[in-house]
Amino acid sequence: MNDGPALVSILRQGDTLVASVHTALDDSEMVRFQEDLVRQIGEHRARGVIIDVAALDVLDSFGSRTLRTIAEMARLRGALTVIVGIQPAVAYAMVRLGTGPGEVPTALDLEEGLAHLARARDPGGGGSVR
Amino acid sequence: MQVLGLASSLVDDTVLDGSRHHRRTSGTPVDGTAVADLEPMLRRIVVARLGDHPAAEDLVQETLVRVLDARDRIEPRMLEPYAIATVRNVMATMWRAEGREERNRHRAHDPGVPDPADAHLLEEEERLALRTAVGRLDRDERAALVAHDVDGQDTRSLAEEAGSTAGAVAARLSRTRARLRVEYLLALEQVEPPTERCRSVLLAVSAADRRRQRELGAAQHLLECEDCGRLSVPLLRRAPARDDETRVAISADPDIVTARRAARAVAARAGLTGADLTLVATAVSEVARNIVRFAVQGEVVIELLDGPRPGVRIVARDAGPGIADLEQAQRDGYSTCAGLGLGLPGARRLMDDFDIVSTPGQGTTVSMTKWIPRRT
Repeated sequence: MNDGPALVSILRQGDTLVASVHTALDDSEMVRFQEDLVRQIGEHRARGVIIDVAALDVLDSFGSRTLRTIAEMARLRGALTVIVGIQPAVAYAMVRLGTGPGEVPTALDLEEGLAHLARARDPGGGGSVR
Repeated sequence: MQVLGLASSLVDDTVLDGSRHHRRTSGTPVDGTAVADLEPMLRRIVVARLGDHPAAEDLVQETLVRVLDARDRIEPRMLEPYAIATVRNVMATMWRAEGREERNRHRAHDPGVPDPADAHLLEEEERLALRTAVGRLDRDERAALVAHDVDGQDTRSLAEEAGSTAGAVAARLSRTRARLRVEYLLALEQVEPPTERCRSVLLAVSAADRRRQRELGAAQHLLECEDCGRLSVPLLRRAPARDDETRVAISADPDIVTARRAARAVAARAGLTGADLTLVATAVSEVARNIVRFAVQGEVVIELLDGPRPGVRIVARDAGPGIADLEQAQRDGYSTCAGLGLGLPGARRLMDDFDIVSTPGQGTTVSMTKWIPRRT
């Protein structure tokens, strides 16, 4: 993420971090993304994290595992993670492959993801968390 | 006393006067330190004329040396004017020399590019290698090649002489050339192939004979055998580029992304669409990752299949340590490197056909195919 166009952007909105993956990441870039994001959760004292993977055309076993790891690490740091934007073809491949985001909540798009975080934080204000 | 003629008129008289005086009163030699004391003044004079010319310091020193040489003949009173005249003289000499060099520079220009020192040697080596290679051909092969390529005899008349057909002669010539290329490379690199397979593999590669390459397991051999891997590079380069096959060398993380992009492109050309493209790309990602993690180096070949059924075949091969227990490796959840253990079984589920061959110590080859669904 030091040279060339940014592969990933991490923006802060209130106490939520919105991380958008802009292009296919290889394994080491994925790991760097994980480190950056977990560090920024601490820096910004974030309570919620949204990872937007709409630009990814492949989420293989390593990619899925990294997303799960990020979500679990974020949870241990006190932030809730929602994954948004999984493409239909990618979802199909994940099912066939037998991987998936596991326990990590998912939402259709950014808007749904933010709504999900809001509901999770204020369960009285809306529908169920998952 | 050459100085006298060249010194400026102002200094001239003084020096002239001084030298006359010197002739009259020999003795009272000039002190060496008095000469050294002139240095700052000389430097000021030189810098005033030349600025930061690279030779400025040299001129100062040169003047000091000349003055020191002449100090027996100079009266102490005349030391400074003498030094000034000398430094002007030294500068004038340099300007004249520079002017001469400038005027004559064009004469020194040589428009030809000189041959590199080893060009002749390399040429000789190549000639020797070709001679050795031609020498290794059979006598008949050599005769036919010389008759056709050197003497310009056509294949039809060659066929008549040999009681054969023009097509057969042409095919034989082409095989001979393929052999000549291999023998030439071996002779040039001064390599004796380490195994018996090497020559036949290189020959199949040189002839671009894909069926023979498959029979011999040529691709795997090129990964295993360092010599053949190196020698095959020019042979592969001259083979016509195939638009129905893409080869991606795998050795680091970014290659995984390259491989799956290539796979997606080829699969799209084959006629696969939508989710199937993603399945192929994901499967390639898994097998390419296995190469990077376990074998360090290998390749992924993506190939279009025409018949009997159209499809895309992916072959991922490496010359790594191999997999000791294939059954275990293909079971869900089995993993040796902190993965999910979904690599191989996952790829199998994504593709239509899946086959894996592994020999411990020699490497692993995964072949998998996605068939193109019949359109109705």
